[in-house]
Amino acid sequence: MTVSAIPIPHRAGPAAAPVVVYGTRWCAASQMVRRHLDRLGMPYRYVDLELDPGAARRVAWLSGGYVSHPTVSVGGAVLVEPSIAELDRALMRAGRVTGWW
Amino acid sequence: MNGHDRTDRLAELEDGFQALAGQSQDSPEWQAVSILHAMVQELWRSGEAGVADPAERGWPASAIRPTLSDIANLYKRAPSMSGSRQHEPLRVGSIAPDFTLPDANGREVSLRDFRGAPVVVAFYPLDWSPTCSDQLSLYQAELDEFQRVGASVVGISVDSVYSHGAWAAVRGIAFPLLSDFEPKGAVARRYNAYRPGDGFSERALYVIDADGVIRYAHVAPQLDHIPDIYELFASLAELTGKPQPEPSSLHPVDEGVAATAGG
Repeated sequence: MTVSAIPIPHRAGPAAAPVVVYGTRWCAASQMVRRHLDRLGMPYRYVDLELDPGAARRVAWLSGGYVSHPTVSVGGAVLVEPSIAELDRALMRAGRVTGWW
Repeated sequence: MNGHDRTDRLAELEDGFQALAGQSQDSPEWQAVSILHAMVQELWRSGEAGVADPAERGWPASAIRPTLSDIANLYKRAPSMSGSRQHEPLRVGSIAPDFTLPDANGREVSLRDFRGAPVVVAFYPLDWSPTCSDQLSLYQAELDEFQRVGASVVGISVDSVYSHGAWAAVRGIAFPLLSDFEPKGAVARRYNAYRPGDGFSERALYVIDADGVIRYAHVAPQLDHIPDIYELFASLAELTGKPQPEPSSLHPVDEGVAATAGG
């Protein structure tokens, strides 16, 4: 796919809650989200749903009992299996992105 | 309404909600609260996206003219593909079996065409199916990275060249998809990757070096598992001597791994 607009990451201060990606190592969507954030240079915490004992329970709490991967927490939004476009919109709303190339 | 203020307030409310996690969540009341929270998130999300796509509301299919996006996302509602792997990969260090297969343009592509540079060969079960769509989209998004280390990428499945052409167009796949159609799965068999009971191949990933030697070989333990992209990058880094891309995780070791290691 052609990327026509690339977000410019904003170096948020220490008070900004980190982006958290709950995922698994073998899920394509989890990998796509992580790699997108890598390419943006957007700091995030990766929490593995299969390796971290409390992670699945936490995601179930946030998602009405469902545990999907990836589930991404950004700026107060909890995104369940977001598209890259949805993720970028959430990053922009949260002030983590200052503009577009 | 000031969208920025509303977002701050929502973020504060969400923080408050998340702080309640960890308390006993098994009563019907807590379950109801958790469900309500999820509903709020979904509504927020669909509001941001503008008018919700009618297809997502389960309207009768006859009322809808599918968009390109609908077709591209068909795989999400397709029957799930599951199964454990049946075969081991070919051994690292062995010569990769040659092949000549047509791409979506009908052009014959041989493995030996790639001599002189590394090539990533991704066998996958079927076009249009769940998981497969995501794996190849992942590699498409990483084409710059593959190019940086001088590696090519090809996908191989038993689908016809016509299916490859349509699917690549819809999903925006720019690297070649080769058709292992007739004899069915012949090349997959050479790579010990054909699943006779299913009529398609394993999800098998190979990195072949400039001399045609297999340097990385992986068969997914489950059909719906994608090989770890970070593992693939590490293999290419080792092969080419070029550094792998930096993950942007805040901690050098994944949280999950650190937790199990007691770190």
